[in-house]
Amino acid sequence: MDVDPSKILVRYNVQKEKAQTPEEMAAEMYPSEEPAKTIAAAIFEGEEDDVIEGLEKAIEGGADPIGLIDDVLMPGMKIVTDLYDQGVIFLPNVMMSADAMLDGIEFCKEQGAAPKAKGKVVCHVAEGDVHDIGKTIVAALLRAAGYDVVDLGRDVPVDEVIAAVKKESPMMLTGTALMTTTMYAFKEVNDRLLESGIKVPFQCGGGAVNQDFVTQYELGVYGEEAADAPKMADAILAGKGLAQLKESFHKH
Amino acid sequence: MAKRYTSLAYKNADDMIFGKSVYPVKAELGLEVGAGYVTGEVNYAPRPEAGVSKDKLVSEYRRLTTDIMARAVQVGFPGISLETEHVEQMTNNPDWGGEVAHVQKTIMEEYHEEYGIKTALRHTPGDIRENRDLLALIGDKYDTLMESFEAVAEGGADFLSIETMGGKEILDYAILRNDVPGLIYAIGCLGSLDMTMIWEDIRKIADKKGRIAAGDTDCAQANTAMFIAGGLLDKNLAHTLAIIARAISAPRTLAGYEAGAQGPGKDCGYENTIVKAITGCPIAQEGKTSTCAHSDVMGNLVMQCCDLWSNESVEYHGEFGGTSVQCWSESLNYDAAMLNVATETGNAKMLRDILVLSDKYRDPQGYVLAYDNAYKVAEAIAKDGDDLYLRAKNAAIACVDILNSADTNKLVMSKFETNALADAKAALDALTDESDTFMSDSLEKYKAEVAVFRPDDNYKF
Repeated sequence: MDVDPSKILVRYNVQKEKAQTPEEMAAEMYPSEEPAKTIAAAIFEGEEDDVIEGLEKAIEGGADPIGLIDDVLMPGMKIVTDLYDQGVIFLPNVMMSADAMLDGIEFCKEQGAAPKAKGKVVCHVAEGDVHDIGKTIVAALLRAAGYDVVDLGRDVPVDEVIAAVKKESPMMLTGTALMTTTMYAFKEVNDRLLESGIKVPFQCGGGAVNQDFVTQYELGVYGEEAADAPKMADAILAGKGLAQLKESFHKH
Repeated sequence: MAKRYTSLAYKNADDMIFGKSVYPVKAELGLEVGAGYVTGEVNYAPRPEAGVSKDKLVSEYRRLTTDIMARAVQVGFPGISLETEHVEQMTNNPDWGGEVAHVQKTIMEEYHEEYGIKTALRHTPGDIRENRDLLALIGDKYDTLMESFEAVAEGGADFLSIETMGGKEILDYAILRNDVPGLIYAIGCLGSLDMTMIWEDIRKIADKKGRIAAGDTDCAQANTAMFIAGGLLDKNLAHTLAIIARAISAPRTLAGYEAGAQGPGKDCGYENTIVKAITGCPIAQEGKTSTCAHSDVMGNLVMQCCDLWSNESVEYHGEFGGTSVQCWSESLNYDAAMLNVATETGNAKMLRDILVLSDKYRDPQGYVLAYDNAYKVAEAIAKDGDDLYLRAKNAAIACVDILNSADTNKLVMSKFETNALADAKAALDALTDESDTFMSDSLEKYKAEVAVFRPDDNYKF
């Protein structure tokens, strides 16, 4: 027994696929001048050795390391994240590009650059929860977008989260959890922050976390996708407060 | 030394069917799994605030167990299976899990005595073998985990299960980098080594307590891949890579049976049809009736060979139709009733094939897991069943070959999916046939690249 599936299902991903390949679309977005073009292509391909080689040549040619970060590496990475946001490339491509870009930034730092991050974000996985791949993705996407990430790791006690927020004064705190019982720690984090008079946006997501739960505490903003993290940070930079963040990111 | 499977339990793919397995298992209160009928297996999670104390947790499970049993007899279901997946407090404090098992089993016994309803209780301690920063598969946490198994077996759990995490430190790195050899190393090699160790010990506990060492799942890895892959329009992982990870997970789950598991396999093991083809042991599955927990793209297809039919998990709370566990257990058992009618009327294979065809071409994942193709993956695994690396590699190659030979008018794949498939094939073609070479090369590579990899501590290298 077999069936013609065309009447019972639609593969919308195939229907919606762009005619151009990701490589072709990326190539149209590369800067025209060198070395930015070559380095942007190396970032897109996730080839860290080629990124470093391009940076070395540029510095030998007199380029300023900090300028390379601001004008070459970050714009190169933005091509990748823009294509990801457009649904053209997949997350592993972004992760590999981010690795290459961050290696490039480290190299520029070794050459004397002291880059200024767009802002600082503290990331953690809820106390009692060791499932951290979601946090890893969130942290990578934030770093790729130019944010300084203080990664507290997984199974982080509430006390440690509060202490880190007090010490680092981040623009945003993120929390991920896979399990219903561990995500309960988010409420405690919220309450303890409020007790201390700290009103930092607290982006929560992952596994069993849902919008209904996150709306139960004042600082909580639900992040349905890991890719929401840099968007939320950008929104905070643009001056949006808690109410506006909830309006934008609470989709349900 | 675990005896590896080198042949299949079924002579033909077409012999595989829901409700029947070659080696059924029987629980204390009469429920026999794989003996000719399908039974609903309801899963649940306590409300978040219930985890604050032992008393609150035990009370939560008392309430929800009573709810489930009451609904089962109200609607006239002949049997029901319950699965308690531990929250971490219940495993880290073995007496908590043991008390929950005891309370649940006592309620189930009361219903069994009063109504004769056949029932079984599965307990699934959490894999707590992690520290803040690292996997800690061997050591104090392992000992606590075994104490938890002892406690739940003593408390009355019929089926002992777990979702182990061996290899996950490499999987989390590899899956985000399209690294197919890394998937083979993480799931097929490291995961299987850990499974062999832990399931030999779980079987000893089961034998000592008169319980059944049921089975594991590659939830921590293949389901991570499946969830990251998501729906058709998600761009987080190619679905062709997700199904390669799934194919590789089958020999890993198989390693649990080789070390003593007897089934029913865990519900979220979407690889279970492949595994059942080899072992002949009963399996639980989840799909269209687990949408309360997560979405997949093969909700009907995975019913094809199930012996228990599960909802994966639902938080305990109120719904219009009763509590959530009542609503979902009722749905599960209506599904089971439909399957059992098909069996009783001689239409089981017809219904199986309808279920399969509703999803077979929906996605590459369903296509490979359809029982006819799953059987081919099983054959590839058994061909080199004695070699953990080669059988994992074989599973990946079989998966790629099945997709590449599909009728492209029916299984329509995007360029993303076919490109990822081509990259995977190239990576597989470049792999050595020598296990020792692969293992030593991988050890060196991932020790250098993955900071949290502790091979000596976790895998006794």
